[in-house]
Amino acid sequence: MTEHNNQIRENPVTRIIVVTSGKGGVGKTTTSASFASGLALRGFKTAVIDFDVGLRNLDLIMGCERRVVYDFVNVIHGEANLNQALIKDKHCENLFVLPASQTRDKDALTEEGVEKVLKDLEHMGFDYIICDSPAGIEHGAIMALTFADEALVVTNPEVSSIRDSDRILGILQSKSRRARDGQEAVKEHLIVTRYSAKRVEEGEMLSYKDVQELLRVPLLGVIPESETVLQASNSGAPVIHSKESEAAEAYQDVVARFLGEEREMRFVNYEKPGLLKRIFGGA
Amino acid sequence: MAKPIEFKAGSLTAMSAVLREIDNVRLSDALQVMLGGMGEFFAGEATIIDVSQARNFPDKADWAGTLSLLRRYGLQPVALRGAPEHLHASARKAGLAILTEQAARLQAESDIASAPAAEPLPEPVSTAPAPQAAPMAAGTMVVDRTIRSGQQIYAKGSDLVILGAVSNGAEVIADGSIHCYGPLRGRALAGASGNKKARIYSSNFGPELIAVAGVYRTFEKGIPAQIAGKPAQALLRGEDDKQALVLEPIQLD
Repeated sequence: MTEHNNQIRENPVTRIIVVTSGKGGVGKTTTSASFASGLALRGFKTAVIDFDVGLRNLDLIMGCERRVVYDFVNVIHGEANLNQALIKDKHCENLFVLPASQTRDKDALTEEGVEKVLKDLEHMGFDYIICDSPAGIEHGAIMALTFADEALVVTNPEVSSIRDSDRILGILQSKSRRARDGQEAVKEHLIVTRYSAKRVEEGEMLSYKDVQELLRVPLLGVIPESETVLQASNSGAPVIHSKESEAAEAYQDVVARFLGEEREMRFVNYEKPGLLKRIFGGA
Repeated sequence: MAKPIEFKAGSLTAMSAVLREIDNVRLSDALQVMLGGMGEFFAGEATIIDVSQARNFPDKADWAGTLSLLRRYGLQPVALRGAPEHLHASARKAGLAILTEQAARLQAESDIASAPAAEPLPEPVSTAPAPQAAPMAAGTMVVDRTIRSGQQIYAKGSDLVILGAVSNGAEVIADGSIHCYGPLRGRALAGASGNKKARIYSSNFGPELIAVAGVYRTFEKGIPAQIAGKPAQALLRGEDDKQALVLEPIQLD
């Protein structure tokens, strides 16, 4: 991993990363928002695109819903140019959001249209383009992964989510542009979200090792189930900005590992509350 | 002025209805079971009635009855192949062309191309002491990645080697044997065109379904404990008619 990221810094090439899962409600948009913010905080010029046309909510999580004038579909149809549609993030200097349209449906995304927008972003000097995929394996999800160089596969530690992730990994292998052109395969990363070390300890939840063994994709990080995620979504600031939150730190680890740094897995072991904590009551 | 009629040679692709018995009552029952009430299941496709696999032939055959039966399901019978001489005249009378051996052979080839996982082919290995299965000459198909849920791989006429896993919901099929080096969690069908000597090998046994030459087994109650997650093989054992699919652990070290 270190190798190819060094390569990026030496001769800058835009990397397109799809955040996908198959199943809905597992944390794709939360992950897209925090991962994109994390890259931007590290100084990379980053764009995050909402491919969930018709059910947009990336703008809500990024807290820019009131500033949406033009959207992704407008740009594809030539009704606005990219500069008009890109919304500058209020938390980070280098981050731009391209919101989805609420009124159109997913068929508004054409392969040529998406490719042109991605090419234009490349020419604008973006280091990373994060594509937030809709759930399912329909047109919108296919469009989000078609041009990907790398994929973050977001999975909850439960069987149906794992099965759907497996399905989407298969689709990446067959439908992505890289696969179709016979290039080097899309690089896959696994992110396990909504993880509860306590429930794993009690045998109620699959461990992240089980998930990884089933999917056989390198693990990029484990995000603990946390109330801060919901609070962050409601307040329109990606959870990576939340101070003293385990989820925020876990996302920072994810970004660090993605950039080639070694980080130990955190928040995966359950510590039984000690005697003092039990007497005085923990947080 | 154009000639009112011209004759040209041409070839056509046709459906083949392989009858193993020439008995309209049995045929009617079988179609009912296979296709249920789905009349017009086929869309008027040209059909060749193939009786070359029939075990015994009656003295007389009611071809008209057979034709109307097949037509009921939307098939359009045009020709007959593989029938003995004494049935030819009645078939011609019913409006069927009699195909020569040569035409029949061409037909058989196209059968192989279009029907992968179906039943044993016209001249399969079924003749008792199976010789070294000839189709295996095609070598081995190697897949060096994991087969994901929803994906299907078919190794036509050869063995299949998978270096990754076969995920739940994935399906791997081979005319020869299947060797899976990662965990086998999906469906594996070896000997798909009738090779009863085919086997399934896995270093980590946990499939949803396995089959060898059409004999299959599911694992509703779980995989037997002595092989679950361990190296194991599946193969057919026993006398010709009573072959059973057996699972055995493999000792690897």
